[in-house]
Amino acid sequence: MSNVCANSSLIADEQAISLVVDGVSVSVPKGATILDAAEKAGAHVPTLCFLKERSAISSCRICMVEVEGEDAPVPACSTVAKEGMVITTASERLVAYRKLAMDLILSDHGLDSTNYCFSCKKNGACELQAVAREVGVQHPSFGGAEKRKPVFDSNPFISFDPNLCIRCQRCVGACNNAAGNHSLHTAKRGLRTSIEAPFGPNWKTSGCESCGNCVQACPTGALTMKRREEYREWEVERVLTTCPHCATGCQYNLIVKNGKIVDTEAVDGPSNHGLLCVKGRSGSFDFVHSEERLTTPLIRNSETGQLEPATWDEALDLVAAKMGSLRDEFGGHALAAFACARSANEDIYMLQKMARTVFKTNNIDNCARVCHGPSVAGLAQTLGSGAMTNPITDIARNADVIMLVGSNPEEAHPVIGMQIRHAVETGTKLIVVDPRNIGLSAKADIHLKLHPGTNVAFANGVARVLIHEGLIDEAFIAERSEGFEDFKAMVEKYTPEYVAEICGIDACDLVAAAKLYGEAGAAAIVYCLGVTEHTSGTEGVMALSNLAMITGNFGKPGTGVNPIRGQNNVQGACDMGATPGDFPGYQKLANAEVMKRFEDHWGVEIPKWRGTYATECFPKMISGDIKGLFIFGEDPVRTDPDTSHVVKALEALDFLVVDDLFLTETAKFADVVLPGRSYAEKEGTFSNTERRVQRIRTAVTIPGTRLDTDIFIDLMNRMGYAQPQLTSAQIMDEIAELTPSFHGISHERLDSEEVAGRGLQWPCLDKDHPGTPIMHVGAFTRGLGIYSLADYIPSAELPDEEFPLMLTTGRILYHYNATAMTDKTPGLNEICGHSFIEVNSVDAERLGISDGGRVRVESRRGSIESVARVSDKTNPGETWMPFHFQDGNANWLTDAALDRICSTPEYKVCAVRVSAL
Amino acid sequence: MSALSIEPKTAADAKVESYLKRFERRVEAAPPGQCPLTTVASFLETGANQTCGKCVPCRDGLPKLSELMRELANCQANNETLGTMCALAQMIRDASDCAVGYEAAQATLDALDTFSEEVEAHLVGHSCTQGMGQSVPCETLCPAHVNVPGYIALVGEGRYADAIKLIRKDNPFPTACALVCEHPCEKRCRRILIDAPLNIRGIKKMAVDQVAADSVATPERLPDSGKRIAVVGGGPSGLTCAYYAALMGHSVTVFEANHSLGGMMRYGIPAYRFPRERLDEDIRAILSVGNIEVKCDTRIDAVAMAKINDEFDAVYVAIGAQLGKTLKLENGDAEGVVSAVDLLQKIGDGDYPDFSGKKVVVVGGGNVAMDCARTSVRAGASEVTVAYRRRQSDMTALVEEVEAAVVEGVEMAVLEAPARVEVDESGHCSALITQPQMIGAVKRGRPAPVAAKKPERRIEADVILIAVGQDIDVDPFVDFGMHAERGSFIANGQLESPDLPGVYVGGDCQSGPATVIKAIGAGKVAARNIDEYLGYHHTLSCDVALPEPKQNDRMPKGRVEIAERPARERKNDFLGVEYGMSLEEAEQECGRCLRCDCFGAGCQVDGRFQYV
Repeated sequence: MSNVCANSSLIADEQAISLVVDGVSVSVPKGATILDAAEKAGAHVPTLCFLKERSAISSCRICMVEVEGEDAPVPACSTVAKEGMVITTASERLVAYRKLAMDLILSDHGLDSTNYCFSCKKNGACELQAVAREVGVQHPSFGGAEKRKPVFDSNPFISFDPNLCIRCQRCVGACNNAAGNHSLHTAKRGLRTSIEAPFGPNWKTSGCESCGNCVQACPTGALTMKRREEYREWEVERVLTTCPHCATGCQYNLIVKNGKIVDTEAVDGPSNHGLLCVKGRSGSFDFVHSEERLTTPLIRNSETGQLEPATWDEALDLVAAKMGSLRDEFGGHALAAFACARSANEDIYMLQKMARTVFKTNNIDNCARVCHGPSVAGLAQTLGSGAMTNPITDIARNADVIMLVGSNPEEAHPVIGMQIRHAVETGTKLIVVDPRNIGLSAKADIHLKLHPGTNVAFANGVARVLIHEGLIDEAFIAERSEGFEDFKAMVEKYTPEYVAEICGIDACDLVAAAKLYGEAGAAAIVYCLGVTEHTSGTEGVMALSNLAMITGNFGKPGTGVNPIRGQNNVQGACDMGATPGDFPGYQKLANAEVMKRFEDHWGVEIPKWRGTYATECFPKMISGDIKGLFIFGEDPVRTDPDTSHVVKALEALDFLVVDDLFLTETAKFADVVLPGRSYAEKEGTFSNTERRVQRIRTAVTIPGTRLDTDIFIDLMNRMGYAQPQLTSAQIMDEIAELTPSFHGISHERLDSEEVAGRGLQWPCLDKDHPGTPIMHVGAFTRGLGIYSLADYIPSAELPDEEFPLMLTTGRILYHYNATAMTDKTPGLNEICGHSFIEVNSVDAERLGISDGGRVRVESRRGSIESVARVSDKTNPGETWMPFHFQDGNANWLTDAALDRICSTPEYKVCAVRVSAL
Repeated sequence: MSALSIEPKTAADAKVESYLKRFERRVEAAPPGQCPLTTVASFLETGANQTCGKCVPCRDGLPKLSELMRELANCQANNETLGTMCALAQMIRDASDCAVGYEAAQATLDALDTFSEEVEAHLVGHSCTQGMGQSVPCETLCPAHVNVPGYIALVGEGRYADAIKLIRKDNPFPTACALVCEHPCEKRCRRILIDAPLNIRGIKKMAVDQVAADSVATPERLPDSGKRIAVVGGGPSGLTCAYYAALMGHSVTVFEANHSLGGMMRYGIPAYRFPRERLDEDIRAILSVGNIEVKCDTRIDAVAMAKINDEFDAVYVAIGAQLGKTLKLENGDAEGVVSAVDLLQKIGDGDYPDFSGKKVVVVGGGNVAMDCARTSVRAGASEVTVAYRRRQSDMTALVEEVEAAVVEGVEMAVLEAPARVEVDESGHCSALITQPQMIGAVKRGRPAPVAAKKPERRIEADVILIAVGQDIDVDPFVDFGMHAERGSFIANGQLESPDLPGVYVGGDCQSGPATVIKAIGAGKVAARNIDEYLGYHHTLSCDVALPEPKQNDRMPKGRVEIAERPARERKNDFLGVEYGMSLEEAEQECGRCLRCDCFGAGCQVDGRFQYV
């Protein structure tokens, strides 16, 4: 992969090997194959079993070429090009051999293995058909066995028809090499080699993640998505876009037939390399066409108390009037807006512009407040910029050691998880710091199974080991940071024994982990909400930053401090200024020059006061300080901690507007509900976790909905600000003009051949700037890096006699957050659709709880029912729940105790009691 | 990562070893007379089953090739099939990733070439080639087609004299073959399927050890025919011819150049392998038939041969291969450099050398080289070294001969090619200088040595024995009018000398240096064909009733080997080195015989391969 990060592109540019292909001289990098060389020389070599970055086992022998001086031809796909080779890609012998090999394959496959080709789902998109035609085989000449084996189709999404399998093993490569899932294998290896695909009756226990990467790899109709039968190749168009679930930023095509999305297809994007997870492949379009979509504005009838359909004019007039009168009567302080972290950068920019220009408020925030607010705040403080420092691919391919802290990428960021799995399987060392036995902890060199909420102690302990063991980079510390001596003094008390006591781990493991990290040539810290969602979240982030700082793990490949952002565009939501203190690009409201620039450009006065964090808005709603709230695509009733408290706050509002796709739990409290549009219905951009701005594109239109930017523009005009009508591209141009780190970004450039579908990573300072894959090269954004001197402070609510267990919440693979999108896909609900709580087997035995038994879970704030999953995944005394499921939503229990610095709630620690029902 | 295990990757891998040995044994026991195309088909099926299943040419191609081969073997193929097979095999050979595929395809292409006659027969005649069909393995592979199962059964019952009689029906040298036969009969013994081939030579030795051959009466001679037959050469072939011709009633005169009869059995094979008194037992028995005149010390030249041809009704020329090959080495004619053949020849007449305190180097790797080396040890040499240009495993000598030499103290200087002989001031050899070799590519079926980049080696030598093969003294007979090619006489399968009616030629002088049993087989063929040539169809009765077959003993058992005298003892004398089997050993060994004359192919029409 060239251009994904600084150093690998350097390697790719090394033109080391010269050879001749069909008379054309070419140079290719060392390690390139003859196939690569042929491609470069413009010679087409037919291939069948080869699939780049998945499988190069050269089983079909279709790509055989002749090498001068060698008796037998060699497979181009797997033979490394050597200096001075003279290659012939087509000769009488090669043509005959290719035909004969294809003849054998076709004889094995048969022409009527599924009642003839035309009844096959892949007819027209079958690579076997295409390659057979290309090499000139139209009919098998060897007798094939009559095959009518049973089809494996118990998985909700995928079916395997062994009758159509040509045993090329591309699926095996996809599952084992690329996805690292290891649930699909060859069996009966030998003459009867066949694919053992986990889609039969035992599919649920197979470990298969239903990601479908095997399906995409299949050249025939053997492995297919079941929905594939709904369309034929020639009936559809493809729309290249970005996945709307997590922040990996996977690139894929939406397959559209007659105005409806019928399928997806992974594309070789810079962060996903042709991979998708189950949500991206199968859970990203049913919701678009869901019957439950809102297709008309709703206004609450003050007499009946019911939400009733209304016209757009009625709804927008009402919103403008009510928000305007509240603003006029109580000032901008009384209004607030929450931006949608799933929506486009352009939408978010316009929302915050609306809040600041016509709501006259800086009470604007986004759901990063409940996830990575501490990353933004913490890293901005120590480094000057609160974002992932290194690209995903760089970490997966160039790090010697990955320290994974409070992050379960296999579930929450599956395509990153796949790449880390692959990295670990190919030699990268892995340290997992997590209170649970996550999937990757089984592959980790060291798993520190610490107590939730003890990250600062852990990190300070590691720092002390690094200092005492002489594993620090003194030159880096001297040249690139300030305040080291104070830091050194602060961590001195965090002896391994002291830290082990706090964290509940073995002191030796802590020392070993520190040494592994400290001795690595390139070590990357990757972390997620297990670090941030604490009262000490920002301190935890900065404590990790300290580790990279003292070891010099910044500004070079395979290093850095890397928060894996949660939602598809939560990075963008922060970047676009949907925060109380920042304009787009983290330009401070407090900076007079910045303020003047925005006021000049927007042509209005902007409130100078710093706004209120979203989590702090709820108490202000209850106290009456905030009276009007505009929620864009958020569902805090389900996702914010302490649901009772949230409901109480929403009920206290004078006026609540919700712009969403569905009538969410939150929308049910609204006075006006506006039907917006999903990612598949608009142009725009998402910024993934690695700061990569990538395009989304209009695939379909749902009648009755409106572009969210149009909604905001209409409201701004109705509320007295003359906002011109702008397209998404024009809005990005405005963002770029006002935001230095986005100066070089535009839709036009993102769509250009120069960018070639790889997006642009900010900072992108001008139209010729290539973007910034690795940050802090040579200098930190803030100049010199600084250290956090924060001490370990225990979580706000610890278990006691009354509530003796600790509860941590998190995500699972098959759903996203409030499931607004994922629960519209029946297959995902079939795989996992109900609330559960993980209880340690010791606790379960003591409490008389059985695996699969129903339980009551109670905290000081609420009580829910759920189903116990008894295992040793959590430590004794600790429990874990996903927060997705409404039939037992963990957020009735969670504590709204907030991070001391940026007010992110402590979802990861609260005290509960569990009892069998 | 997951925990490691000491268990094999699959339980089957650990268990399959003994099965593979069984599979090997089945291949080793391939019955003579099996159509080679079926062997190729089996090979291909095995090859196809060995595919790992990755690549199309091997996984999908070999089964198709195997099917086509089966069609060919079943005589159901045509030229188009053959064309497809060749194209497919070439593709598999060139497009396979590993040897599992490409070697199977190459072997098929080679087989189609090697067995082109058989392929042609299957394609055109829809039949196997003539004579194809199984017969009793031991009997078929014995050049004299001795009724092996029969005499094993007799030995098993303690009927040693009858065993000798039965052997003599086809081979008048039961003692010689009991002691020195290379036993091709054991090569495909069906018992290999179960455990190991029978020790057939050992069983025969049991018979002649228990009852001396010359104490068992030969059959009655048939009435005199009045025909006179000359036999030139009193070795195993000539004496065999004389024996059967005499039994048929002809009058035989044997011309022998040496002082005594026996040929290479006396003048080549050392006494410690074949004690002279044992050889004499066989010769006495042969001569006891009567009507055989022996003329020793009578070397036949061209004139004498012409005279014989005139005087006798038929002639059998069986002069053996008695001349030692020489090496063209610098100082190769120095004093102390001796031909192996000359050395052994003298010993045959009782002229033993005295190598006391001398260093002897033997050049060569065949049985004669081992004979020389072991003889040198017995002649008192202080050091005996065999210099050979290939590896020990490439030596053409019997493995047991090489091993015996080694345990008797012979040093094997392998991968050493003689470069020249070093001589002292008196012109006597002082050392053999060799050029070290390394083993290289296979040429004509054997790994060939090439000069290694190593300095020459000096092997001290007071005596250098050249044992690099034997030549045949064809010249006088060619002058008479016989034909020779590349040093051997030419004859057809009936051993008739071209253009010379009544002149037959066989044994080493026709086949090139070979084995005693081959020479015996040739002598018997000559006798019968001369009888036919003279217008007779004599048959010889045997009158030994064979024991009824017992049911096969299917229990796998070890093969009884013949013990030898301790090396440190035997190396000091020229007495025989072998002990015999004990009675219980012989009974057990005979009991392993599967009686292929009575079970399987042997009991059907055309299931035997023997002379009446």
